[in-house]
Amino acid sequence: MELGIIGRISKGSKMDQIYIPKNRLNEGLSAGSYVLIKPFALADSDKVRRESSEKPILYGLLKIPSIKLYLAKEILKVIEQNSDNLDNVIITGSFFSEGFNFNDIDLLIISEKEQKKEKLKTILEERFGVTFHIIQLTKSELIGGLASDPLYENMLSRCIAKKRIVFNIKRNINPKLLDFHLLKSKALIDNFDMLNGRDKYYLTKNMVAILLFIEGKKVSNKSINESIKKLFDIEQSRIEDNLIEKKEFLVKYKKIHQKVFNLIMNSFKKEKDYDGSK
Amino acid sequence: MVQNRNKLIDLLIGNLSNAVLHRILEKAIIQEKPEIAGKYNKEIKNSWEIAKAYREKINPQTSALPVKGIEFIRKRVISRVNSEISVRILKGYENLRLDEVNIAVDTAMKEIKIA
Repeated sequence: MELGIIGRISKGSKMDQIYIPKNRLNEGLSAGSYVLIKPFALADSDKVRRESSEKPILYGLLKIPSIKLYLAKEILKVIEQNSDNLDNVIITGSFFSEGFNFNDIDLLIISEKEQKKEKLKTILEERFGVTFHIIQLTKSELIGGLASDPLYENMLSRCIAKKRIVFNIKRNINPKLLDFHLLKSKALIDNFDMLNGRDKYYLTKNMVAILLFIEGKKVSNKSINESIKKLFDIEQSRIEDNLIEKKEFLVKYKKIHQKVFNLIMNSFKKEKDYDGSK
Repeated sequence: MVQNRNKLIDLLIGNLSNAVLHRILEKAIIQEKPEIAGKYNKEIKNSWEIAKAYREKINPQTSALPVKGIEFIRKRVISRVNSEISVRILKGYENLRLDEVNIAVDTAMKEIKIA
């Protein structure tokens, strides 16, 4: 197939010109060659533009198996065919964990218009044979979530998005929301024997994510797992495999839980002092 | 694993208290800022589900517990939730009311078929 170069005519003082890259591999396009210039059909240029804009954006995914990338692109395509007025679509969650041991595929649909989530879920599940967990948010809800909720920040630290996501959002410590989230992690203290490794890991991760968020640190799977290793002296995989020394783990867990709780409670005071000084 | 009745009741009380507190805190957030009331809720085992699992292990499973048992559980759950809420009020948490605890506990106990 003969490959060409698409160029744009730029205006000159006496002559107009088309600039082409100096380093080009195309045959027959060396300096001094005669070339044919013809208008590039609008339909073709639209197609090129559309194809380049369809390239999804990867966040926190340095290595991703091509099969997963292919699947992600197909999912985005199916969503686009079956919805309208979408601001963005984000694929996230355990789908991007190593291997194929994911339970479901988490989808965030960003749109101001109410989408038919159940219908879309059925279409996707029939097409891909996997369970989908769909959440719809407006742009402002996403921004609010990223500013105040460590779960959002963690969720979007590893994802594929249809369009670019703005991450430069100032953190807002909302003690009520953090307290509410931390309460979930208390279940591990009372029910250690009843929970499986996956639940234990999730509850630990939740607590550590809140700690990192309050401390102003990055909240991503990588940073959470590194902190778990540092705080508990245990690899994340051992928690997930339920291979934990109960007594030792619970002593550390209770101590960290209390620390996070105190930090949250202290921010109520800071909030009040700030309101009072206004 | 065989667990005795007292141990199961203890675990039920702990989880039920946590679940009631969770509901009260959720209500406080929704009243203030409904848009941030955690839309991203993954399906994990929460205190309410765990409490239900413990309740199912305690006889009679499908009808209310004897009056003495109901009163014992009720008092301990109310006391635990009150204590958790008091700590928060003391630290400056606003819009939390201790007088809502009794109603919330009674509702939860009915839902879980204790009372």
